[in-house]
Amino acid sequence: MLFPITRRQWLSSTGCGFGALALSALAQATPKVVPLQAKVPHHPARAKRIIFLFMQGGVSHVDSFDYKPRLTKDDGKQMPFDDARILANSGTRGSNQRVMKPLWKFDQYGESGRWASSLFPEMNKHVDELCFLHGLHTEGVAHGPATLFLHCGNTTQARPSFGSWVQYGLGTENENLPGFVSIAPSAGNGGARNYGNAFLPAVYQGTALGRAGGLASENTIKHLDSTLSESDRLKRFELLRDLHKEQLAVRPNDSSYEAVAESYELARRMQKNAPDVLDLSRETETTKKMYGIGEKTTDSFGRQCLMARRMCEAGVRFVQVNYGDNTANPAWDQHSNLIKHGDHAMAVDRPIAGLMQDLKQRGLLDDTIVWWGGEFGRTPYAEKNGTGRDHNPGGFTMWVAGGGFKKAFAFGETDEFGHMAVRDKVHLHDLHATLLHQLGLNHEKLSYKYAGRDFRLTDVHGRVVEEVLAKKS
Amino acid sequence: MRSALILTVLFGCACPLMADDAKQRGEELFEKQIRPVLLKHCASCHSDTAQAKGKLKGGLNLDHAKAWTVGGDSGPAIVAKKPNESLLYQTLLYDGDTKMPPNGKLDDATLSAFKTWIELGSPDPRVSTLSKKQLGLSLEAGREFWAYRPLTKPIVPTANDPSWNTNTIDRFVSAGLQKQKMIPAPQASREVLARRLYFDLTGLPPTPEQLMAFINDKRTDATERLVDELLKSPDFGLRWGRHWLDVARYGESLTLRGFLLKNAWRYRDYVIEQFQEDRPFDQFIREQIAGDLLPHTSPEQRSRQLTATSFLALGNTNLEEQDKKLLQMDVVDEQLDVITKGFLAQTVTCARCHDHKFDPIPTKDYYALAGILRNSKSMNHANVSNGIEVPLPINSTLEATIKQGEQKIASLEKELKQLQGSTTLTKKVLSINEVAGIVVDDSAAKKVGTWQMSTSTGTYIGAGYLHDGNEGKGDKSLTFMADLPTAGKYEVRLAYSHSASRSTAVPVSVFSADGETTIAVDMTKAPGLEGRYVSLGVFRFEKSGQSFVIVDTKGTKGHVTADAVVFVPLDDVETKKKPVVISSEKDGSTSKIKTMEAELKVLKAKLPLRPTVHSVLEEAKPEDVKIHIRGSVNNLGALAPRAGLQVFSGHSLEAIPAGQSGRLQLANWIASKNNPLTSRVIVNRTWHWLLGQGLVRTVDNFGTTGEKPSHPEMLEALAQQFIDDGWSIKKLVRSIVLSKTYQQASRFDGLAQSEKLDPENRFLSRANSKRLDAEVIRDAILHVAGNTQPNPTGPTFPASLNSDFGYKATDKVRSVYLPAFRNSPPEFLEAFDLADANFVVGARNTATVAQQALLMMNSPFVLSQAEVAAASLTKLNLPTEASINRVCLQCLGRPPTSSEAKILKLAIADGMTWAAIYHVHLASAEFRTLE
Repeated sequence: MLFPITRRQWLSSTGCGFGALALSALAQATPKVVPLQAKVPHHPARAKRIIFLFMQGGVSHVDSFDYKPRLTKDDGKQMPFDDARILANSGTRGSNQRVMKPLWKFDQYGESGRWASSLFPEMNKHVDELCFLHGLHTEGVAHGPATLFLHCGNTTQARPSFGSWVQYGLGTENENLPGFVSIAPSAGNGGARNYGNAFLPAVYQGTALGRAGGLASENTIKHLDSTLSESDRLKRFELLRDLHKEQLAVRPNDSSYEAVAESYELARRMQKNAPDVLDLSRETETTKKMYGIGEKTTDSFGRQCLMARRMCEAGVRFVQVNYGDNTANPAWDQHSNLIKHGDHAMAVDRPIAGLMQDLKQRGLLDDTIVWWGGEFGRTPYAEKNGTGRDHNPGGFTMWVAGGGFKKAFAFGETDEFGHMAVRDKVHLHDLHATLLHQLGLNHEKLSYKYAGRDFRLTDVHGRVVEEVLAKKS
Repeated sequence: MRSALILTVLFGCACPLMADDAKQRGEELFEKQIRPVLLKHCASCHSDTAQAKGKLKGGLNLDHAKAWTVGGDSGPAIVAKKPNESLLYQTLLYDGDTKMPPNGKLDDATLSAFKTWIELGSPDPRVSTLSKKQLGLSLEAGREFWAYRPLTKPIVPTANDPSWNTNTIDRFVSAGLQKQKMIPAPQASREVLARRLYFDLTGLPPTPEQLMAFINDKRTDATERLVDELLKSPDFGLRWGRHWLDVARYGESLTLRGFLLKNAWRYRDYVIEQFQEDRPFDQFIREQIAGDLLPHTSPEQRSRQLTATSFLALGNTNLEEQDKKLLQMDVVDEQLDVITKGFLAQTVTCARCHDHKFDPIPTKDYYALAGILRNSKSMNHANVSNGIEVPLPINSTLEATIKQGEQKIASLEKELKQLQGSTTLTKKVLSINEVAGIVVDDSAAKKVGTWQMSTSTGTYIGAGYLHDGNEGKGDKSLTFMADLPTAGKYEVRLAYSHSASRSTAVPVSVFSADGETTIAVDMTKAPGLEGRYVSLGVFRFEKSGQSFVIVDTKGTKGHVTADAVVFVPLDDVETKKKPVVISSEKDGSTSKIKTMEAELKVLKAKLPLRPTVHSVLEEAKPEDVKIHIRGSVNNLGALAPRAGLQVFSGHSLEAIPAGQSGRLQLANWIASKNNPLTSRVIVNRTWHWLLGQGLVRTVDNFGTTGEKPSHPEMLEALAQQFIDDGWSIKKLVRSIVLSKTYQQASRFDGLAQSEKLDPENRFLSRANSKRLDAEVIRDAILHVAGNTQPNPTGPTFPASLNSDFGYKATDKVRSVYLPAFRNSPPEFLEAFDLADANFVVGARNTATVAQQALLMMNSPFVLSQAEVAAASLTKLNLPTEASINRVCLQCLGRPPTSSEAKILKLAIADGMTWAAIYHVHLASAEFRTLE
């Protein structure tokens, strides 16, 4: 999608970010910088790409993967907790809250005997592939700030998103496709900023395929098609190519004219190739069934997951699959009526299990990271003594799989109620650093100079969590 | 008091006697138990090694006594012999906000070792290998840096070529080229110059008629005449206003939740008018920073000055940040960023957490400036905070009408309230169907804990009401979940049963699209509405968003009751289909209530709106702020009295009178001829907007990490001239575009040689060719098609719009009038790098990406405009050759070359439509490039 811009434009587009010295040094030393060309990573990579399954709104970890028997034992009791919202609003600690037991029964699964609830029965079949991070914590108590933090490493200010940093660091494997895609993203809680390039050059921005709440048929690249017939399109394309030859004839070596002319060539190639990648009808019925495509509850998310796999095969670096909507309190946000988690689980469980199985079968899981989670977890107590749980940025669970992470492994702990991460804590900055590390990028070196200073995804924080990395075989 | 003091002194004296012993024991303990822990758990972030690598966290080094005595950003790590007052020990205890080490609390034995070690005076035998390195440029050195030096009047050099000796610009440029032994490019052709002037000054291409008129104008002052005409054209304001809107990070909505800034358009129009009328730029600065505080002689002037302050209020604020202290400082930071980058090209906000790493801007200066803005209120805080809107002055007739209407409404409301309060219900029991609105009866509520049904007070909806039996407080709640038919605003009412035995403060929480709001309901009192309901307020709900009410029992004393929750739709009358038969009673007061409510609604709808603008308000008690250590609102250091930047010598902020924020003084300090940066920065921006790159190419950064000017003396001379000319942008623009420097060709025979000698064109030896801005490309397409709508007045999106999500602009207005929505920027503009409304954008990006090609080839917008253009062409009934000529003049500002004409003629003969011919011209590289 994004055309490798030429040196001159590259320089002018980043002019503000570079100091005078850097600018002239680049101009002299680099014959041709092609930003989207595949680049050499900082160190050998363990993974080539990431699929991020974003559970927007915040899945309750204590009802899914973080087993806390005390919640059942003390169900209904009033106990003091440092509620994150109350703390942020008023600085008050230790407010009394009514402990609420998990609504789904926990049991042990897999050869590893991992505790998990019956909320995600299909995912549970894959626990031996997963690496659970139970000691996660993050910034932001409300959805907007926490969602931005998850994607961009900052709760307020506009910063480049994770996928943009990955593209900036690694370039693309396939020039005929975007390198960073977000399927059916939400317009809310940061919207386009969650896949935006902020101050990085525009070539690194994410491409949205469709929108949250839209039809599956909308999940495509914009303007691949038009109302013109193919023969008309071809005729116009060829006439334009002729005109560009004329315009270039009087401007020999004008790189900006060359770039525009070349962008049409690339667009033409995309028009030919991208529809194939986006076309799910090429998959077998067995595969589609594996993802739950064709069944009412799972069809939509199943299609997104299958498209993610096809994109990965075609060389896309970062695919985000969104399960969410455009409201201020998205999908998983059960402040009340927690049982509704069950509906959302039904919609995503089989597609995700299908994706895991499919990636494994095709040998893609070895160099693909699957990353699952929401912007935060939920409280172990009932909100306002009601039937739901409030946001909990202080301790929650995500899992990662493939791409050089340990299998059948769990790292970190929350306290005995599942409220705050207490041991082997992993901040989202740390997870960002670790994911970049697996892609061959050093989060401290992956920086970009803007407005006079170097910016990083992890700001001045972040630690690579070596403990969860598999030994290289 | 005195004896305590003496005791302390005595105790202090007694210590040295024991010191040797304590020191020895302490050192032993240190070696055995403390040092290994520091090494294992702390060294990666808090050691000499970490410091040398620039990885020191929190500024704290624990590698030797000298370092931890001074401590990090939060102050000394250890208070001698007082473990409980020592930050280090508290942090290890996991007691406060900071908990270390991050991976888990140390075991009790280790903690007690630390405690003892500190009690023993924390002896530490290690020494440092590092010397402290100073950050950034010192203030003294900074005063010598070119950008901070006061303006002077440089001597204008003389050019050898007399034709280059007629104005300041050409004299400087020519002298520079002479020094480099370079020659300037030839002057651009008439047709290239015309296209350049039209686009640069109006943002539109010349029509073939305008183009030919200029080419055929043989008068010696033809160019001056054209320039003056274009400067006067209303399109100048539209084009140049947009330049400033880029700097002002102008947006009409917020990213989070897509909230709309419904009055932002007033600021946009103000900016356009400013450039059109060419009011003095220093006054423009003052108005934007402190327009609300400036004197005024007419309501119009007051209006304009208030509108200007929207500049401070249009940032992309995260209103739902829950830590409101932090939110406030984030907003201040954003305002400071747009002020200092926009007017001074300084990255002051780098100094929020630490002294600026490169520029002579200490953190103290940051908080001195932040203190000024902190005294201006930008929000009213709530779960989701609200920006400030200030009414504009209106004429006396409108004022009278509004006042009259408001009085009528107020008296009617009062009457209604009395009536509602006094109404005695005869029909005390209502079925659910008899209640208007969306009713959630207690029977449908989700119960937590045991609730008992009762009918004993005799007034209720449905089968009865619920009460908590006045027991199990905090273990019980009721959740009323509504399935609302449409998104929009609803009044939420709670029906309850009152009596003296009830709780006086029942926490009732409404969960809406704006988050949660808790209201304490006094159930000892009779409900005010119809003796049955209390209004919980008006809330916004989304389709499939949250819409529920929780009645909690926590902390209540006395019975808690709940009968029903009713959501009364306010937006959409259609949904209120249910009959409004509620309580029939003896005196007919209910029907009277209904009539009055209807009347009230009509009155409110008829009441003209008071025009408002997004602005700020002065806080009642202005004060200085303290330095926020590492930018944290919870870690305050020394007071930073409000002031300007210290690095300017001889130009400080005038004294801030007691009771004032200092914003007016800040405005005057910036909009001053003595401010070394202000005039330089805007002159350089103007140069950039006209020539494609500034004399300082980092137009938003004149600090040490920015570039130095290519022609420092010329920049100074122009800045001085700009001030002498009364801060007139038009005079500045005129002097630049009439220079030979500006009028050079970008393409000429010696180009290759010129590029070799001056690869980046830093010596201005030719014109730069530029990619047109997004708005200009779109406007040019519409212009070629002859398909623009008249410029709108007033708001540019429907008043009924609730958020910017998914908004698609379809108007054919000039691009500056398309809603500047942060979540849904116009697709065409987005593809061509429109300014990101999150940042000060002095220089646009110009990427070339395939998405642009797809858009140009396939988008319905481009295809349809090509059709419209073709239809107009066909009406002219020109011969083929003349038609081809016209298409090229319209799109490229020149006739076709003979070989182009041949290609196009063949294409037409081959059956290609005129729409297709237009289409490929609009898509071509030359269309979007300005030579």
